[in-house]
Amino acid sequence: MKKNFARKAAALSLSIVMVSGIAACGGGSSDSTTTTDSADLANPEKPEEITVMMDTIITAENGQQDVADKYEENTGIKLSIEQPDHNNYYEKVTLSFASGTPANVIEVGSTYYPEFANTGVLWDMTDAWDQTTENCKNIIDEDYVDALRIDGRLYGFPMAKGNGTITYVRQDWLDEAGLALPTNYDEFINMLRTFKQRGEGTIPYTAAGFMNNNETPYEIYLREFYQDASPDFVYDEASGQYIDGFAQENFKEALQRMRDAYQEGLIDAEIVTNKTSTCRDKLYSGLVGVMNYWAGSWAQKLEDSVQNADPNAKLTAMPAIEECNYIERVPTAMVITAAADNPAGIFKYFIMYSHDGGEGQMLFTHGVEGKHYEVKEDGTTVALGYYSNPETLVEKSFYAPELSITEWDDPIQLDERIYSSLETFEADRVFASLPLTSDVISENLANLNTVKGEVLANVVHGNMSVDEGLEDYQTRASGYVDAILADLNGGE
Amino acid sequence: MADESKTTGTIDYDSIVIKKPSLWVRAYKYRYFYIMSLPVLAVLFVFHYWPMLGIRYAFSEYGLRQIATGQGPDYSVGLANFERLFSDSFFLQSLKNTLILSLVNLALSMVCSVVIALMINEIQHAWGKKFVQTVLYLPHFLSWVVVASIFTLLLSAGADSTGADSTTVGFINAILLKVGIIDEPVAFLSSTETWRGVWYIANRWKETGWGTIIYLAALSGISPDLYEAAEIDGAGRLKQTWYITLPSLTNTILVVFILNLAKVMNVFESVFVFYNDLVYAVSDVIQCYTYRVGLASAAPDYGYSTAIGLFKSVVSLILVTASDIVSKKIRGQGIV
Repeated sequence: MKKNFARKAAALSLSIVMVSGIAACGGGSSDSTTTTDSADLANPEKPEEITVMMDTIITAENGQQDVADKYEENTGIKLSIEQPDHNNYYEKVTLSFASGTPANVIEVGSTYYPEFANTGVLWDMTDAWDQTTENCKNIIDEDYVDALRIDGRLYGFPMAKGNGTITYVRQDWLDEAGLALPTNYDEFINMLRTFKQRGEGTIPYTAAGFMNNNETPYEIYLREFYQDASPDFVYDEASGQYIDGFAQENFKEALQRMRDAYQEGLIDAEIVTNKTSTCRDKLYSGLVGVMNYWAGSWAQKLEDSVQNADPNAKLTAMPAIEECNYIERVPTAMVITAAADNPAGIFKYFIMYSHDGGEGQMLFTHGVEGKHYEVKEDGTTVALGYYSNPETLVEKSFYAPELSITEWDDPIQLDERIYSSLETFEADRVFASLPLTSDVISENLANLNTVKGEVLANVVHGNMSVDEGLEDYQTRASGYVDAILADLNGGE
Repeated sequence: MADESKTTGTIDYDSIVIKKPSLWVRAYKYRYFYIMSLPVLAVLFVFHYWPMLGIRYAFSEYGLRQIATGQGPDYSVGLANFERLFSDSFFLQSLKNTLILSLVNLALSMVCSVVIALMINEIQHAWGKKFVQTVLYLPHFLSWVVVASIFTLLLSAGADSTGADSTTVGFINAILLKVGIIDEPVAFLSSTETWRGVWYIANRWKETGWGTIIYLAALSGISPDLYEAAEIDGAGRLKQTWYITLPSLTNTILVVFILNLAKVMNVFESVFVFYNDLVYAVSDVIQCYTYRVGLASAAPDYGYSTAIGLFKSVVSLILVTASDIVSKKIRGQGIV
């Protein structure tokens, strides 16, 4: 990828030199580059309509059109929202690129963002961000913007913090056993053993699979078992080269930890066939002692749901044990597609507007007054129920309020558990970096991850020893690994 | 001679030439039929023939980069996509699994559907017959996701990997443990030894009832005179089935078999909802492989995906043509 970007940068520089040369020579030819000049970036034309493709925006049955109408009322710009089915979202996104008529703005997760940027389908918003005078510039946490930079260039703008998973523990079970929250791996395993002794039907620890196969970081779940190991390619500071995390000694130790815990009956036996929804259902049924899941609003949802089955149940978001950290994902980005007619205008009137710390931020965080929230007589602002389920309060219209990356006075106070889980998470988290991309990686990664998933599952299930598993991995994966490493390190 | 026939009043039929109307006259005469067929032809062309032009991408490098830069497919790669395909062990494994799963499932579907159709046909009471048919058809209307959830619950080996805690095992394991057939729960869905069996059963449970419809229709078309004559000749139920019913169904069975053979490479959803990391070796099929390397990737490779699709179509064509030829050789007739 670096090689590609170096080439791109060289080509861009060359183009700029050539274009400048033509201009300096007094040539009257029009500028054919797609670069928007500074005047346009500072004061772009207001678009008449903006088309967006979003995954996590409030659904149509819960007032999506109300948000679009309010946006049009506020800005005079028509907003057309397309929201494909969540399970097929990225298929639709890539197909929309392939069709040549993608939406102007698309919500893109960090797994896909660098690949899209690499292929040139995204508009480079670096200069627009650098030159903007909108309020967003004053109130945003720039670390989250920088997290999306690729070789210094910005192809997407963060929607909210990346968030990550944290380990939830049945506090009431701990209290009954007279145990404190574990602070290291030995105490953690001891806690699981204690939970197992509660009797038949208890699942000390549940998860959906050993490797988060579809999204990076792959090791975001099962944090206590992975610890410092990663199945992905990692940059080795000492050698200045990328190495295969799966083949390292710390990964071997992680495999052994997972295998031992599984064989002892501490990890859910159905981990391979579990979906995340299955894990949640088991937790809600009061069967599960420990589960690693998303921090933030899930802290409230999980505990409320467990309490439906057992009113005395209590879930605690546990600080990371000393051997591991939690991982914060790279934020999901809002990208402007290269095919958009007026990208600078879209950047200003949609992206900057939605992070303005005022009217736009409120609209894209909590929705429309009277529809999704209301201001009471005493001046407090409270969320209203969803149209489709009035019993449940509207969490967000688009941006998760608890994960806001701007400093603004959010009038709606959320449940305390949401803030406290995030506080615990942020105290012990490290930031993930953008996934590596290149043509060679794209060609080999699917098969490589299949091998990794098979080896991991077979070792943990006891179908092979750790050494046998790693030997099998070397045999089957070396072709893919060698090709990727040669590509990654060849560009250094 | 001609004069004689005129005088005698006889007609020389051999000399009569019936002039066939010209093509345009005939076309005009049947113009309304042709107009009515136009929408069908248009749909056929737009949705079946026009997309075939996309086959050319199989011989190109074509992904988002080519689209973004506007340069279009790069045909200089020639057969590179096919070389990659046949050197990929995962593809070859998925091809083998596709053929095994689909062909065994096809054979089972023929046998089960015919047997069940014959049994339904024997039910005398109209309401009883309708009830049984309704019950058998219902699973067809469930999505594969729901079917997978049902089977996962039924076949669960429980949450305890040591097998000591059997309280969370599914219904099937509980029964087998109770009866004493097994000593510890069996992980049916995560064992390479049992996965295919479960998949076949799930497929038959979902689709057998639906598959009986065409055979029941064929059975209703068999003349009762044949059974009456056989009965007079002393043939019992079994012999009537063997010598009258089954031969009468042969054509239908053959047509259904050949048509289903064309679809053997298309198995996807039923596998996708059932497979997992432990059973790739016996479950990974071409469509799932394509999904992983193609659509589920952040950088879709349309050239490679098209090459896989073209290969699948060629295999299906060979299977259908071969079975039709075999049918013609054995029975003297095929369907193509």
